[in-house]
Amino acid sequence: MNLPASMRVFERGWLSSNNILFCGRESTALVDSGYLTHAGQTLALVAHGLQGRTLDRLLNTHLHSDHCGGNAALQKAYGCRTTIPAAEAAAVRDWDQDALSFTATGQQCERFTFNDTMQAGDTLLLGDLEWQVLGAPGHDPHALLLYCPAQQLLISADALWENGFGVIFPELDGASGFEETRATLALIATLDIRLVIPGHGAPFADIDGALARAASRIDYLQADPVRNAQNAVKVLLKFLLLERQQIALDQVPLLLAQIRLFRDTNQRFLQLPDLELAQWTVAQLLRAGAARVEGELLLNLD
Amino acid sequence: MPEPFDLPSHQGPLPSPCTSVCVMDSRTGFCQGCRRTIDEIMGWSSASQEQKRNIWLALKARR
Repeated sequence: MNLPASMRVFERGWLSSNNILFCGRESTALVDSGYLTHAGQTLALVAHGLQGRTLDRLLNTHLHSDHCGGNAALQKAYGCRTTIPAAEAAAVRDWDQDALSFTATGQQCERFTFNDTMQAGDTLLLGDLEWQVLGAPGHDPHALLLYCPAQQLLISADALWENGFGVIFPELDGASGFEETRATLALIATLDIRLVIPGHGAPFADIDGALARAASRIDYLQADPVRNAQNAVKVLLKFLLLERQQIALDQVPLLLAQIRLFRDTNQRFLQLPDLELAQWTVAQLLRAGAARVEGELLLNLD
Repeated sequence: MPEPFDLPSHQGPLPSPCTSVCVMDSRTGFCQGCRRTIDEIMGWSSASQEQKRNIWLALKARR
């Protein structure tokens, strides 16, 4: 992987998104800050990477808890200027729990503030390089891509992974997301890219392969939206399991019933009783090797 | 679809040791989940395949 010297990628896991640290001649910046419970490690990585400099700016590709959970800690540590997608400005200013996704998904995020916003069409200077801001609706309606034409680099967040993309959340609420995902993939296909830095997983160079896999994935999901709903409940339970590492099996039905997105997704697409939804979802995680059962406990499996 | 459940952390030729615990142990200097040092976590994405293999081997000894 050949990156400009002013840029470092911290490849995190699944609960925390990757972080991208820019150290330019005059200023420093971080794109995405990981999950709340990992904020200590995020601070350690950033401090280590900054080598004594301060963090001047923090930017978020989108405001899911695994991409902005370290914002509050970074703001406390550095007082960094914080830039969020323009469409989220009101929700963050008022910390609108219904508009932000944290409560609906049962995920945590400490309240943070912002100084300015960015939107499609803007240009940023990060690590002495010029980055174009592009809209990437689909996984999240307000998600943004960052593209550096001079270096042919794309920060794709959850719009494109090496193998697929993030859950198409808008469809779970009855809004449109499949067509937006297609448009975002089509936009990426027009860019001259040598390396994609995704929100999760290793940076990758096989753009055509990734776009082909994403295209076949969106075909599969859109052909029957229940598939997107099933994928969502699996991913959301896995997220909770990663956060807690273990969940009592008999608590799973109650847990799912208490979290709005499980409830709404079930009602709209799956129509299963709470107990059956829990049993089905647990069985899917076991089948995928993403969890195991020990006695009365569901344990995370990597 | 061949894979019913996409886990991005499992992608790539030599997977990241990250287990999503991601809390540093101040006593050992290792992550409580994957047992890597901050340097090893920071350098992972730019490490060569051989360096990644060496980290994986070192992790076995830290268990």
